[in-house]
Amino acid sequence: MKKLAIVLLALLFCVVGLSEQVTLRMIQVFTSPLRTKVLEDIISKFEAQNPGVKIELISPPYETAYQKIYLMVSAEEPLDIVEVGDWSLSALASMGKLLSLEPYLAKSELTKYLVPGVLEAARTYKGTAYLLPNAIYVKTLFYRPDVISKYGITPPARTMDELLEHCRQLTKPEIGQFGFDFRGKGYPTAFIDIVMTSFFDDIDPNCMYLKKDGKLIFEDPRALEGLKFYIELFKTAPKDSINWGFDEQVNAFASGVTPYLFQDPDTVGLLNEIMKEGTYKTAPLPIGRGGKAYPTIGFAGWGITSYSKHKDLAWRFLEFFNSPEINAYWCKDYGALPVDMRVYEIDPYFKSETFYGWTAMFEDEAHYQFTKYPLDNEAWSEWNELHETTMQQVLLGKMKPEEALKIWADFWKKAGLGKK
Amino acid sequence: MRKRLWVLMLVPTFALIFFVNLYPLVRGGVISFQRLTVFNLNNPRFVGWSNYRAIITDPGFPRLLWNTFVWIACSVAFQFLFGLILALLLAKPFPGRGLYMGLVFYPWALSGFAIGLLWSWLLNGQFGIVNDILMRLGLIKVPIGFLSDERFAMFSVILVNVWYGIPFFAIMLLAAIQSIPSELYEAAQIDGAGVFRKLFYVTLPYIRPTIYSTILLRIIWVMNFPDIIYGMTRGGPAGATNILSVHMINIVYYRNNFGLASALGMIMTAILMVFAIIYLVLLERGEFEL
Repeated sequence: MKKLAIVLLALLFCVVGLSEQVTLRMIQVFTSPLRTKVLEDIISKFEAQNPGVKIELISPPYETAYQKIYLMVSAEEPLDIVEVGDWSLSALASMGKLLSLEPYLAKSELTKYLVPGVLEAARTYKGTAYLLPNAIYVKTLFYRPDVISKYGITPPARTMDELLEHCRQLTKPEIGQFGFDFRGKGYPTAFIDIVMTSFFDDIDPNCMYLKKDGKLIFEDPRALEGLKFYIELFKTAPKDSINWGFDEQVNAFASGVTPYLFQDPDTVGLLNEIMKEGTYKTAPLPIGRGGKAYPTIGFAGWGITSYSKHKDLAWRFLEFFNSPEINAYWCKDYGALPVDMRVYEIDPYFKSETFYGWTAMFEDEAHYQFTKYPLDNEAWSEWNELHETTMQQVLLGKMKPEEALKIWADFWKKAGLGKK
Repeated sequence: MRKRLWVLMLVPTFALIFFVNLYPLVRGGVISFQRLTVFNLNNPRFVGWSNYRAIITDPGFPRLLWNTFVWIACSVAFQFLFGLILALLLAKPFPGRGLYMGLVFYPWALSGFAIGLLWSWLLNGQFGIVNDILMRLGLIKVPIGFLSDERFAMFSVILVNVWYGIPFFAIMLLAAIQSIPSELYEAAQIDGAGVFRKLFYVTLPYIRPTIYSTILLRIIWVMNFPDIIYGMTRGGPAGATNILSVHMINIVYYRNNFGLASALGMIMTAILMVFAIIYLVLLERGEFEL
């Protein structure tokens, strides 16, 4: 009898002990050793503040991460917090497995401190926020003052024409010196679009591929001009760059082979690791012949699954993640731009020279108009493959620029854009 | 009782075949007739043959087929040729053979995708060590775009695949060569046969079953092996190295269109069935028996 009582007591302790432990399962997409370390550190801090809560982090390889998430979410496998990038938000939200964060956002203090435009960007799908962005990504011009000054170039290019001129000046294949750090594979869409749209002055702020009159940019003669300019820019890049992705780009820039690079702020974290301070700087994106440049605000954040059993706790983690201190830590180490305005005030790092390119663009509304990709269009993911392949064909001389523009226009018309 | 036991013992095998082979095949077949993208993952709809039509009428499809043919033919032919040479060289004992075999066979132990990434850096037109060596030797004046020049891209990925696949042929053929009775060579020696006669009249006929089965297996594996190309070029530049299996990954990776990818998978299965039938016919004829 005594033995039985002891066993029952032990069982009771086990049950109570287990019931106090809550486990949240979260999955990240943009996995890298550096990023995972920062993420684990933030998770530990949250766990320390919330006894009895454990967060289990799943870190699949980046290449297969989305497919894993799609399958896990569609099968309603245990998952509470899901990383969502801007380019896949609509796809995930359309599955109906992401929780609308609007009720939480309405009550949260955080909302009023979010950088303007962030929440609108998060409402890409049906005007509802299905994620809370934790960082923003805007491309700017990275340059190597030490390299370009050797060729008598100071300051860096302010216009696209200047950029091409500089790049031509810098290109000396015989000594392995080139101008532009080109991107040929792994989503090069954002790079070509920055160049091509800079030839316009009437891009729709709500869709990068439409003019303000509702017509597609690809049918406008300025698109042809922009595409031909892009081909010229490619001639100042190593030929090999048609096969370059992010890693090759960063490597070429860090080694000084290509001192001009368009990239996102998460490149900063990596460059700070491998380059000496002051050997690279940022400047606003060069303005095109249209007198403007049209960057897009990219973002990534955390969403909560609609079937999560711990929705409130998951939201508590999201709020913790976006608290000014943690957001500053995340963005500083990872290199992205914070989403909370207070971070820019409390942390002088984000006002440093490294971030000059972005701050200058944000302050110059006359020349920099932020626009959006048609991310809510089902054809978006298909577009990236078509765009990459046809663009490569144009650069290799296998396809005429006019032909590529027609293919692109037809593609988007079929997808329902530019029917006006 | 004995009869029931016999049936029971077969259950695990049938269960394994069902879950590992049959179910995925049937499921893939069903999906190939559906519009199933990430946008309607829980609500697929039947679209008949339209996924198949989309693939076959794609203007790039003939090139995909040709690339796949070149990839298989060149890879398997050179893997076999060099694998045979290696096996013949390793057949006779020599000092340090164990160490040498270990070094020669190690590529087979590596992951295909990792090899692809490794070689994409080695062959990089800007920073690659291969270009550096060629330039230092004075063989070239400007770096070669191994992976960015359409003329070299397919050659480069095949070269890496050959490097990767030689050990498999060598291991298989070496095992077969070592099983040849020494009396046959002694008899050939007495008859005055030289090295080449011994090779063509003793070695090759004796290991013919191994050669047939290994080549057929490799054709199937190489066709279904996108790892190296994916790691090196993702099928580029401009589709120059795009083969069916890489294209299937790109359809899933970029478009998230599982119906289309399954249709392509079924087309690949149909092509591979031809080789499977050849294999079965040869098996039936006793070509794989010594």
